[in-house]
This record gives sequence, structure tokens and C-alpha cells, in this order.
Amino acid sequence: MANTKTVILKIKRQDNPNAKSHWEEFELAWHPGMNVISSMMEIARNPVTRDGKATTPITYDSNCLEEVCGSCAMLINGRARMACSALIDKLEQPIRLEPFTKFPVIRDLAVDRSVLFENLKTVKAWVPIDGTYDLGSGPRISPEEQEAAYPLSRCISCCCCMEACPQFNDDTGFVGAATISQVRLFNTHPTGAALKRERLAALIGDGGIQECGYAQNCVEVCPKDIPLTQSISEVGGEVIRQAVGDLFRK
Amino acid sequence: MAATASPVAPVPVKGGVAPLRAGQGYSFWLRRLHSLTGIVPVGAFLFEHILISNASAIGGPIAYARQVRFLASLPLVPILELFGIWLPILFHALYGFYIWYRGETNVGEYPWTGNWMYAAQRWTGGIAFAYILWHTWTMRFTGIDLHEFPGASFGKVQSEVFQTPLFLFYVVGLIAASWHFAYGIWLFCAKWGIVSGEQARKRFLILCLAFFFVLTGVGLASLTSFRSHALQPTDSAGASMVEAGPGTTN
Amino acid sequence: MASSPKIIVIGGGLAGLSAVIKIAEMGGHVDLFSIVPVKRSHSVCAQGGINAAKNLKGEGDSTWKHFDDTIYGGDFLANQPPVKAMCEAAPGIIDLLDRMGVPFNRTPEGLLDFRRFGGTLYNRTAFAGATTGQQLLYALDEQVRRYESEGKVKKYEHWEFLSAVLDSNKICRGICAMDLRSMEVRTFPADAIIIATGGNGAIFGKSTNSVVCTGSAQSALYQQGCFYGNGEFIQVHPTCIPGEDKLRLMSESARGEGGRVWVPKTPGDNRDPLSIPQSERWYFLEEWYPKYGNLVPRDIATRAIFKVVFEHNLGIDGKPMVYLDLTHIDPKILDRKLEGILEIYEKFVGDDPRKVPMKIFPGMHYTMGGLWIDFNQATNIPGIYAAGECEYQYHGANRLGANSLVSCIFGGFVAGPAAVQYARNLQTAPGNGHFDAERKHQEENNSMLMKSDGKENPFRLWQEFGELMTANCTVIRYNNKLKETDSKLCEMLERFRHINLNDRTQWANTSVVFTRQLYNMLQLGRVIAQGAAMRNESRGAHYKPDFPERDDKNWLKTTKAYFAPDADEPKFEFEAVDISLIPPRPRKYDAVK
Repeated sequence: MANTKTVILKIKRQDNPNAKSHWEEFELAWHPGMNVISSMMEIARNPVTRDGKATTPITYDSNCLEEVCGSCAMLINGRARMACSALIDKLEQPIRLEPFTKFPVIRDLAVDRSVLFENLKTVKAWVPIDGTYDLGSGPRISPEEQEAAYPLSRCISCCCCMEACPQFNDDTGFVGAATISQVRLFNTHPTGAALKRERLAALIGDGGIQECGYAQNCVEVCPKDIPLTQSISEVGGEVIRQAVGDLFRK
Repeated sequence: MAATASPVAPVPVKGGVAPLRAGQGYSFWLRRLHSLTGIVPVGAFLFEHILISNASAIGGPIAYARQVRFLASLPLVPILELFGIWLPILFHALYGFYIWYRGETNVGEYPWTGNWMYAAQRWTGGIAFAYILWHTWTMRFTGIDLHEFPGASFGKVQSEVFQTPLFLFYVVGLIAASWHFAYGIWLFCAKWGIVSGEQARKRFLILCLAFFFVLTGVGLASLTSFRSHALQPTDSAGASMVEAGPGTTN
Repeated sequence: MASSPKIIVIGGGLAGLSAVIKIAEMGGHVDLFSIVPVKRSHSVCAQGGINAAKNLKGEGDSTWKHFDDTIYGGDFLANQPPVKAMCEAAPGIIDLLDRMGVPFNRTPEGLLDFRRFGGTLYNRTAFAGATTGQQLLYALDEQVRRYESEGKVKKYEHWEFLSAVLDSNKICRGICAMDLRSMEVRTFPADAIIIATGGNGAIFGKSTNSVVCTGSAQSALYQQGCFYGNGEFIQVHPTCIPGEDKLRLMSESARGEGGRVWVPKTPGDNRDPLSIPQSERWYFLEEWYPKYGNLVPRDIATRAIFKVVFEHNLGIDGKPMVYLDLTHIDPKILDRKLEGILEIYEKFVGDDPRKVPMKIFPGMHYTMGGLWIDFNQATNIPGIYAAGECEYQYHGANRLGANSLVSCIFGGFVAGPAAVQYARNLQTAPGNGHFDAERKHQEENNSMLMKSDGKENPFRLWQEFGELMTANCTVIRYNNKLKETDSKLCEMLERFRHINLNDRTQWANTSVVFTRQLYNMLQLGRVIAQGAAMRNESRGAHYKPDFPERDDKNWLKTTKAYFAPDADEPKFEFEAVDISLIPPRPRKYDAVK
């Protein structure tokens, strides 16, 4: 029997940062194992809308397609998630694809997420090593410590936690959960802790950790199941201890 | 030297959420003060008001009058009221509205418990504040002055709770304030790093829920006792008689 | 030249970033170009680990044994001195990464834990869960971000390298690149450039590689005069999860932690795999290679799976798939050591590999060949260096698992200082008109594509191209098929002239970008097909049933392809392999070597 099952996608399109957005609808033949990315690849091979109008291939960010590079984050049926792991069979149709709403749209589904990388610079999210020349092995770290650090280190900078956060917006300029969790990661590393005071001090600035409203969407949307709320709590405690302590010490 | 201009005018990518402003502003302190005032003194006052003062109404008009007299006899009552209750509540409420205004509630897209609680914290705060304004106005600034005539307290409350719409407003105000406070304690402990682990936060949430039920339960019991007693006087003469206690005739 | 050399690094994966760090540390200034934000580079996909003979398990491992395993695993096609240097540097590289904060798995004493990988009998692979590449890349990315905030590195993310700018003496003076948003074509001067643009999986359509791994930059340089070495050597990874959009890697670490490969002994046995008794399962790798078992090198495992599926007709449900079974291992151990990859299988297939054997099949994975370089990572064009998967130096005819990460970082650590050294002795260019000329040339290429009004959809052409390459230029190769492939590639290059972009806008136009890459891929496809056709022997990943033996007399040689612009086709020359340290011996994994 001929395969008549189809997949319907509604994609929000925008030609450039200044253009108005509009919706386009696509209908594709269904086959097993489809995901949102493979559907858009199919549209690129045959860029025609559901009503037969010729259009352009969709612009979107993607790279590894294994949910480890963090590129292909978008809103799928209204919710922030990675497109590569969004299996068509598990989505309600028509499938709505939209760009993130809190980041400037470049074109179609591609947005500019450089703010996260700026934030990582501000909090000095690195281990300050002396140099790359041979200085012997690193500090000893127990398996327990490694098991605590590793989940935090799996953050793929997809920005889903920021998009879903009610406090992350133009008014607050909130730094977002991802950066706070990185502060926790580097503050708990024996060498990374050298910059702990500076990192915590950075989080006291406007847009800092205080803007968190603890809606906990971050931890729910995180595709890597990073314990983001725990990071916010622990870093929050350290920030207030340092801030209050400095009132007396400095 | 050899870099050349583009053949097309580039479209600037602008907007988006600002990066973290390390070292700038004092929103951290305001936000933490807001958080702290919710616990002390506002929360502490609520605790006293529901679980001690109002609960004394369960013991009847005389017990209630004695409690009010005791409060009125405290030294420097106006100063206590101004700096211990009104100003903190006003700051907590007004800054709370500012926080509410800057957040973007998104329970439609992300209908998870934590996010609902985030929204609920804002609505309960708003409702509680409206109730508190009305309640303070009618109890403290209009009608008979209860500091002068504590014996009229029971009757003055009764004159309101015997009107069903006002009684319902009492119930709604009670529930909103209790919820806002109970969940506020949980938020405070989560944000200040007092309870940070996932399991710990879950356990503590149960404790806070239990506290909510205690607050609401005692509050409702007090309200019921106002409704279940015969109407008490609300004039100065009647007040003195109430205070004089049983054995005197009407 | 100036005391502060200016180096351009293209590509922000492990190789590119390690070069950047070395240059910045030496006081140089770097412009770092990348198609994607560097933190999203393909290195993040490396799962299993990174090799270094630290001998922390009391097994008597040594850097010489690592070197020997690598050369032997690569079937003696790699030049030996640089491989030896790499293996000797590996323990120091691990220490450095450890100091940078990579969360490597630990032993109870707090030391680095090591596991076993294919092609060796030693526990030599350090790992951070099953996302080692991601963890390593992040560590380097963080160090580069630190230099960036100090003003020593300037990033150009969302820029694509188009070509090198060569002066009249054919010396590299900078690059020509395109802003992937504004589509602006611009030239950037530099004293030297380092190419670190990864593999070319996209040539095979679906592969385990990331979307950006097209080999376009290498191909562009090959067309500008760089030699391309050992192009015919492509690694097909034995265990991949077939998918609609790509093949997802199921790391060798799954076998390193005890995973077993098997098929039901009876053709067409479609029982639930868990209900098939042990006696009716065929653990063919363990039977054929008792010493190494499931951990034979990748080329061997891949061919064994092909044999079982296509010759014995024992693929699961008659389909090209075999089981990779982890269900006999304690789920807690699996979660601790393999969580990242188990999660991939769960997310993309929907089954839990802790409970159900995984269904896997070989897929295109790694490019052993690449830009030809000398022992200093320099290509034959002065001022152009290469490091990482885009060059050919370290893996010979087959790469051992967990050697890629170490070769990337080592390559970058050599290329960076070499480029700085070169820049310090560089004479000034004879004029700079070549910048404008190159830019105009590239702008013309773009406008030609924009104007092209044919019927060929670039994405469909790519699909056809990938299927052709996968069918004929991967695991099993026949000369007639290879020649047929080359002539089909010529047809495709002809059809390319009738390309239709569907999108002619001047902003973030992914069609133009992809179509440019496609042209370069087609050109490189010919290098692969023709190189494979010439090499009449079987060596490592290159296997011809008509020439089943390794032929050291005639073919212990590096293939060097160069582009002949007039003929618009590759030409070849061959170079003797440096075997000065370990004399070649037969490669047999069914017996102890």
C-alpha cells in the first residue's frame, strides 16, 4: 500500500533581523525515524510550501545533531528544546517551529546567542593555569568530586534555560542559569577556586543572581539534565555570604 | 590594509537581553532586602497575627480583647507599627510589584509546578496586599480605635465577617497571605542557599506546605469563632463591658 | 617581521584552539575564524577518550608501545617520527588537560582512570564519562576565552574560510572569508595561517560527522596548490546508529567497557534478542579474534560486520544491522562510565540500551587523509599550516580509537609555535594587490551562483553524491566501481553548472554557503575515488577484494594528490613513508602481534 501518512510543519520565518515574521506551512511524506532537522533537510531538497508555493530553504543553526554541540535550539510546539532530538513521532501535529523569542533573530530559526559567551567571559569561567608548559599532573580529585563536577561540565550552551526563564528578558538583563552553574563548576575546582571571589562579585552586579525568581523552568527544559536549581541555590548562598561578609571586612 | 567594504549594506543585529553588568548597580541589595523583609519583619508579623493574636479569638471575645490590649500596651506602638510593619510591607509589596512587572510569566508554554508557583507567588502577593490595605484601613484607621477600646475588637471584626462577601474576602486574603508566606520561606531558603540539594528542597517544601495548612487552618478557626459567637458591641461603652469580663450585665 | 606575529587560525575545534593557546602564550596575536561558535565545533562529538601511555594501571605500558600500536594499527602507512613524538607528548597533554579542569573519571585514590580501547591490550584511554571530546574542547575553549578577554585573540564566529591569499611568489599572506550573516566577502592579512577544519564526512552524505565537516576548506587549498595526502583512507566506524539526518556514533568505549557484538546464528531469527539463548548467538568478533575480541581495530570490526551481514546473511531481521549488547553489565557501572552515549541511543532510538541490545551498523566516521604536511605541520605552500583531522600525518591507513583527540591537540601544539617561528622570519610581501584580486575572484564565484538559473537543487545533488561515495568508496572497493564513481563525479561537476539556489537573498543565505561547499566536496571526492582506484592493495581501512594483501613493495607510499587547474582534475605523486623506527610487519589481530 502506498504510504500516505504525512507530517505537517508550521514554520515561523523572518528574512532578516528587521523584517516582519510570517508563517509557512509544509507537508512532508512521513517515514520512520524522522526528526525536526531531517524534516528541514527535506524541505531544503524541495523548498515548496504546502500550498505549492516555491520558497527558500529554512535557515537554522545546527551542527552535531547529537545534542552535544548546542546549536539547534528552537521553540518546538512552543517549547525551548533541541531540534535534533525532537522526534517527529513524539510531537503533536501540526508541528510549530519558531525561533527563540528572547534572542535577536538572524534569519528564520537562527538567533544570536552570543550573550551567553559574553556572560561566561564576565564570570571568568575558566581555570587559571600558569601555562601550557609541562608542570606535572593536576590536583588529585576524588571520584565523588568528579561525579559532582561532570554533570555541570556537560552544559552545551544551548540557552534553553534562558529562553524558558520568566526572569530572563530585556527588562532584567538576567544572566541566566547556565552561567551561574558554570560559576559553581569553576568555584568547586581546586585551581579554579582561585577566582571564586571575582566570580561571586560579578554575580552581584545588575542582572546577577538576584534576578532569579526560582520558577525552575531552567532545570525542566535543560536537555542535559544539569542540576541548575541546585547550582543557583549553592551559588546564591555563597554570593550572599561573600556580599554580607565584605560589608564587615572591607 | 586590504580589508574591504561589503557589496551589500550589512543588516545590524541588535536587541536581545543585555549581558551581566558586573560591578554595576545595587539591585542585588534591594532584591535581597525584599527577600529578607518577607521573612522578617513581615513574615514574623504575619506569624504573630494569625497564630497568636487572631488565634486568641478562638478563646472568645474576652481573650481576644486581652490580646489586643496587650499589643496596644507595648511601648512605642506607632514606631513599631511604622517601622516594623507598615514600611516593610509597603517596601516588600511595591518592590514585589516591580519584580512582577519585570518578569514574563509563561505558564502557558511551560506548565510545570515550579513555574505555576512562580506565578502564584505574584498573584498571592498582589491579592494579599490588596487585602492588607483594606484590612488595615478598616481596622486601624476607620471606626472605633481599638488601641483605645480593645474590648470592641471582637465586635468590630464580627461586623465585617458576618457579611458574607467580606467574610469571603477574609478567607481569600488569609489563604493568599499564608501561601505567599509559606512558599516565600521555601523560596528564601532556596535562594539564600540554606536548603540547596534537590532532595532537601523537596523535603523542605513539604514542611512549608504543612506550615501553610497550619496558618490557614488556625486562621479559618479564628474566623469561624467570630462567626459562631453572638454579635459583640462595637461602641466604646460596650467595649468597656467586654473588657470587664463576664458577670457584668449588658 | 614584527615582534608580535599575527596568525590566523581557521577552525575552533581541539586542533585550532590548541594552536591558538600556544600562539597567544608566545605573544602572538590570533584571528580565530569558525563557521560555528567555537564551543560548538565537531570535537564535542568525540566520546570515548584520549590515549596516553601513563601506565597508571601497573601494566607496563609505555609511550613506545603506544607508538607501536598506533603504527601497527595504521598498517605502517604513517610516517613514524611524528607519531613517536605524539605518543611521547601524550602523557604531558593529559596532565595539562587535567590541570585545565577536564573532569576526567578518577580512581578511588583520586588519580586519572584509564580504560581499554580498540587495537591495544593496555588500559591507556583517559576519559570523562562518554563525552570526552566535549570536555576537552570546553577546557580549551575556556582558556581561549581567557585570552580573548585579554585581547590576544579575536574571534570571527559565523565566518567561513573561502581561500588563502597568495602573493606573486605563492606565499600565503592572509585569507579571504565570508560573513555567513551579511554575506560580506573580506580579506584578512596574516603572517601565517593554520587550517584546523576537521574531517570531510559530508562527502559521504550521512556520516557521524557534524554538519560543518565538509572538507571544503581543505579542498579549496588543494585547488590553490596544496598537496592532499592519503585521501583514499576513510575510516568507517563499526558501531553507528543509522538515522534519517545522520549516523550517530556509538562509541568504541561501549565495547571497551565490555559490550559484545553478536547476531543470531540462524538467518531470519526474529525472536526478541533477550530470549535468544547464548548457544544460539554468534559472537563473531570474539570467535575470529580471540586475543582482541570485540576490541579489534575499527577497520577489522567493520569488515567483519559486513561479512556477517552480507556474506552470511545474518543481519538482524534480514536488515544491515547487528547487536551491540551491554545488557549483561551492571547498569550502575554503565551509568557512571557511559551515560552520555547511552542517552544518545535512548533519545534518538527510543530503547534503553541497559535493557535491550542496541542495533548498530558501520558508518563513515573519520578522515585519515588530509592536507599533506611536513613534520612541522607545514603544507607545501609557505605560510599555510594544518593541524587536526584536516591533515594526514598521524593515523596512517587506519586510526586507533582515542588517538584522534591526542593527534588534534598535539598537531595544534606543533603548528602554533611553528607558525610563530615562521612569521618571525617572514619577508614582507611584494605589494598587496593580491588581496583585492582574491576578494573579487570570490565575489564573482558568489554572484555566479546567485545568477545560475538551472534546475539542479544543491541539496538533492549532495544526497546523490553522498550515496555514490558511500556505496563505492568506503568499506569494500572495486576498481571498476571507483572509476565509474569518478566519471559520475565529473558529470556532477558538470551538473553543478546548472545549479539553482532557490534562495537569492543577501542575508544569512545558507544555500549559497552550502553550494560553495558542495563544489569543493565534489572536487575532493575525485581525489578520494581516484586515489582509491590507484592503490592496488589492501591496507588498513582501504580494502580491495581483488587485491586482498598489503603490498609494501609497491604501495608503502603516501599518496599525494595535487590539483591541475588546466585539466581541472587531480594528479598524483607518491612519497616513501618514513619507516625509520619500526620495520613493517604483517598486521594480524587474530594472533598476538
